[in-house]
Formats: sequence, structure tokens, C-alpha cells
Amino acid sequence: MTDAAPGVTTLNGDGARVADPEAVDVALAAGGDGGAFERLYRRHVARVHSLARRMMGGEAAEDVTQDVFVRAWAKLGTFRGDAAFGTWLHRLAVNVILTRRSARGIERGRYELGDAIDAVPTAAPEPHAAVDFEEGISRLPDGARQVFVLHDVAGYKHDEIAAMLGIVAGTSKSQLHHARMALRAYLDR
Amino acid sequence: MAGMITALTALTMGLGQQTDTLIAVQQGTRLDVSNFGGKIVVKAWSQNAVRVHAQPSSGDVIEVALASSVLSVKTTSPRGMPHDVEYIIMAPAWMALNLTGVHSDIDVDGSQAAVRAETVKGAVNCRGGTGYISLKSVEGAIALHDAKGRVEVNSVSDDISLIDVSGDVSAATVSGDIELEGIQSSRVDVSTVSGDVAYAGTIADGGHYRLATHNGDLKVSVPEKTNATISVSTFNGEFDSSFPVGAADTGTHRFSFTVGSGSAGIELETFNGDIALRRPGEMKDEAH
Amino acid sequence: MNDPWTSRLSEHLDDTLTGAERVAADAHLASCPACRAVADDLQRVRTRARALDDRPPATDLWPRIAQQIGLEPGRRRAVRPLPLSVPQLLAASVALMLLSGGAAWLVARHAAAGHTAMGTSALRFAWANDPRYGAAIAELQAALDEGRNNGRLDTATVRILEHNLAVVDTAIGQARRALEADPGSTYLNHHLADTMRQKFDLLREAAAIVSART
Repeated sequence: MTDAAPGVTTLNGDGARVADPEAVDVALAAGGDGGAFERLYRRHVARVHSLARRMMGGEAAEDVTQDVFVRAWAKLGTFRGDAAFGTWLHRLAVNVILTRRSARGIERGRYELGDAIDAVPTAAPEPHAAVDFEEGISRLPDGARQVFVLHDVAGYKHDEIAAMLGIVAGTSKSQLHHARMALRAYLDR
Repeated sequence: MAGMITALTALTMGLGQQTDTLIAVQQGTRLDVSNFGGKIVVKAWSQNAVRVHAQPSSGDVIEVALASSVLSVKTTSPRGMPHDVEYIIMAPAWMALNLTGVHSDIDVDGSQAAVRAETVKGAVNCRGGTGYISLKSVEGAIALHDAKGRVEVNSVSDDISLIDVSGDVSAATVSGDIELEGIQSSRVDVSTVSGDVAYAGTIADGGHYRLATHNGDLKVSVPEKTNATISVSTFNGEFDSSFPVGAADTGTHRFSFTVGSGSAGIELETFNGDIALRRPGEMKDEAH
Repeated sequence: MNDPWTSRLSEHLDDTLTGAERVAADAHLASCPACRAVADDLQRVRTRARALDDRPPATDLWPRIAQQIGLEPGRRRAVRPLPLSVPQLLAASVALMLLSGGAAWLVARHAAAGHTAMGTSALRFAWANDPRYGAAIAELQAALDEGRNNGRLDTATVRILEHNLAVVDTAIGQARRALEADPGSTYLNHHLADTMRQKFDLLREAAAIVSART
């Protein structure tokens, strides 16, 4: 995308049509409009809750989700609109989750070098027909689950994940690989 | 032709006379044209001046005013709504354009600046444009060629055609087809309710592409070496692909599969309609 | 015996190997069916992850959130008084959007910058089931009716708008019926919400035309 030619007055501020109701709601909510914030909540709650559930487990997910939106309300004034609101909210949710995890002192379980998972199987593991993929994610060791959820589900890169979790990128890559290897057993076949 | 006007606050041209006026403008000036009915034609040239040619009906007045870096052109009538006028305007290629009409066609040719063109009833044709390009009509086809920038095109009851356009693209209509050809973009979002969608263009790594219709078919042509995760959804239709689908993640009415590294995201969605994914050239072969 | 390439297959899938490593990995995969099978599985795992559906909590958390942030559930606490007429509301919305720097145009619809997470989209517009959507639609429809009745919109334009509203309403009806038969379908939920939003956008456009002619 290129800028307008030099010396040209841009039209961005002149009668730009409303193209996205969400941008309007964000502006209204930042001004204190609770109805607009409720619309944002309803639009994004599924994604935030699913992130919390996958990273924290089911029991804490509702509390964490509530915390995320309360925090978002307080911080709406800092949202500048240079990224999508959903992106901003998701990053805030990750921060809330990681802070909550630290506060709970959750030990970060990881796959260690030499685990049998590294061996090349001659055939794929037997599928756990009665256990679906989500359940498989919940059964991963904590650290591996965090990396898997942040990378493969949420789309963060390894250097971002490493900064969030206080690990090196190489560890993030390794944990991701181990998580994926374990989750093969939960693929639908 | 009237002489060059270099400084003016307002100029009122006469009763039913043909207007042909040349106004010098400085870099950064924007052209605003407001025409209730008729036609607005703006062609780019290399001079730092705007030439306005129009023939108003008897009683109507063409007002040309230059103030605060905006050169505005409009027709007024002492008896309510002005009659139809056809404007032929030559403007610098660098000049940003803001063209509005009600029952007015709008044609732009050769602009290298931002273009905003809106009408209610009338076709919008734009060749050129750089930066923010917004084209809108309620009842009228919209065509954009050879443009580069952030593109938003909206019609209600007619077709949209984007040819050789690069940059972020958003297009929507309710009753009409959408054709995109020669697109170079990493963000495309187009939708119609009743109409077909055809796309032929690049798929950039990491890009996002959403092509949707409710009643209509989707035909998508992507390069051979595309890297994309493709999500296909249709309630009542078929999917046909020239690319191997491989291990697809399937669900009711929707499935996704990966081509190459899966880097880009492509969403193809219809409700009643078929979806075809083709290599370049195959869509034209099918059309013959 | 461990295959040394097994542990690198995820990097190969994510295209984070160096050029030389990738060449070597490709060569190995071409000759190792076992590794190819694992690589295929890893890709399926990644695809599956991207396609995971997001689910809202079983409990509606909004009342608790509203209480915590000091709102009475179901009522607005507007700091800025908003004009009552729809055209003025539209103008205010545009102004607020511009003031907030909101250019969340395409980006708002999709995933985080730099990565496609196509399968992880939430129910994009859960508000489509919100009664406030119906109220907004009713307001905008009223603006269109007003424009027609007082002559601000000519009959031909009104005819076009009403025809296209009917087109969208038909599409909404079809999507609703399909969803009633399969309420858990993410695709149908998204499609209905998107179609309802198209109605909202169309009515908003019509109201804007009325406003411009005022």
C-alpha cells in the first residue's frame, strides 16, 4: 500500500464512510458507552474464553475472561486503532492469563530431551476415539500446552512467545514440536 | 476560453453559457465537484491548473471557488434542483479528487492521487488512482483499473470490476457480480449477496483473503506456488479444485486444507453456489 | 533408533529452517516414508488447531462485568449525549470513529498481523442475536421510510433500496432456517451474522443518503 503522491492532501479525514461497526463501538465504549462495550464483549467473548480455557483449564476460564474484559474497559483509552481491536484484546488477554498463572505459581511442565516422543514411530499412535482434539490439548504438559495454544491456535510467532513466557525461542520450537507429536493421537481419522 | 485565473475567492459563470475556465492551482489542492445530475468527467494532465468545461442549462449557475486548498465546482439553481450538467474537467494528476453526484455518472482517467467518487444513480469508472480510493454507487456499475492503494468499492444493485489493482481491497455489493482480475494484494475482502465472485490474482504469504456470496458461485484462480490454508464453506453447492486437496480438515458444510506451506488464509464462502479453485488460465479456458 | 530429522519436522512445516537445512530436509523426506507420514500428521495437527471453534462461556458473564465496571446491566452510561435522530447518529458515529483514529477497516475481520489463523475466528458478530441489533435495524428502516415519505429519496432509488433489502432479507431467512436445523454449525452462525451485517450496512447507507439530502 502506497501513500498518496507528495503534496497531495489526503482524504482520510474528509467524509470517510463508516465501514466497520466495530470501530464505532470501540470509539463509543471509550467514551463510556456501556451498550457499545457490551457489543464488543459479545463479539469477542468466545475467542477470549477459549484462549483462557485452553491455557488455564476450564475452571478458571470464566474468572479470567471476566478479568480480561474488566481490564479492557479500563484500558480502552489506550487503544489507538493502529491494530484491530480483536488483536489488541487478544494480546491483553494473553497478558492477563500469564499474570494469573504467575500468581498461581503454576509449574511449567515441559517435555524433556530424551522423552520417547522423539522416537520415530513406525506407525501413528492409535487414535483416542473417545477423546477429542480439545481434550488432547488439555492433557498436554502445561508449558507445551501454552506454546501450542499461543502458536498454532492463536498465531503468535516463536520470538513473541519466548518473550511472553520468559523462555528462548529454541525452547518454544521444541515444545511446540513435542505438543504436535502428542496431539497426533487425537486427530480425527 | 477565459484567461487563467490565479487567485479567486469565487467565480460565478453565466446563464446558460458554455463555461471553459482555467484555474492555476498549487500542489496540495484538492478538487471537489458536486453535480446533482448529468456527468462528471475528470482527466489528468501535466499542468498545474484545472480546466473546467461545462454547459449549464438556462438559469443554472456553475460556481467555481478556490479556498483553503480546495477547488470546488458545483451547479446551483435559483429554482431548486439544478438541471443535468456534464462536466469535462482537466486536472493535475497529483490532485486528490472528491466527486459526488446523485443522478450522475462519474469517470476518472489518469489520476495518480486519492480518489473519492460517490453517486446514487450512475456508473463510476476510474482508471488510475493512488492512495485511498473510495468508489460508491447505489444503482450503477463500478469499474476500477490500474489503481494502487487502499481500495474500497461499494455498490448496492450492480456489478463491481477491479482490474490490475494493487493494495488492500474491499468490495461489496448486494445484487451484482464482483470480478477481480490482476490483483496484487495481501488483503482482500469482497462479498455480494446475490451474484458471482471471480478472483484472479496473487496470494501473498501471510495474506488474508475472503470471498463470499450468498446466492452465487465463486471462481478463484491462484498461482501454482501458492502457500495458503484454504477454508471452503457452502451450504448447497459443490467444491472443485485443480489443486490437490490432500488431508482436509472436514466439518459440516465447511472444510479446510493446505496448499504449500499454508501461510496465507483464504476463506471461500457461499450459501447456494459452487466454488471452484483453479490455476491461472484455467478459468478462461472454461469460459470458452 | 531415532531419526535426527524427526525433531526438526515442525520447523520444516513452519518454514523456519535455513535454506541449506530445508534442502537437506526435503531430500530426507523424499526418501523416508516414516518421516513423511509424521510430517503429514504434523500438518494435520496444525490445520486442526487453526480450525478449532471458539466457544463462549456457558454462563453469560456480562452482568458480572457490567457490575464490576460500574454499569447497570442493560443500560447505557453515555458520557457524550448522542443525538436522537438517525442521520445525526450516523454523523456522530463517523466523527467518533475518525477521532479514535479507527481505520479498523479490513483488519478488524481477521487475525493478528503476520499470521493467518483462519480457523480460530470467534462468532464474529454475536451481537446479531442481540436485541439491540433489531433496534438499530428498526431505527435505520425508519430513516429510510422518512426519506421516502418526505421526498428526500426519489421513488426509483427507494425502489432499488427496497428491492435489495428484500434480497438480503431472503438470504437471512434462508440462513436462519438452515441454522435452526443445525444450530451448532460455526459456518452457518458466521454466515447468518455476516448476512445480517450486510443488511445493517445497506440500511446505514440508505440512511446516509437521506441524511445527505437533508
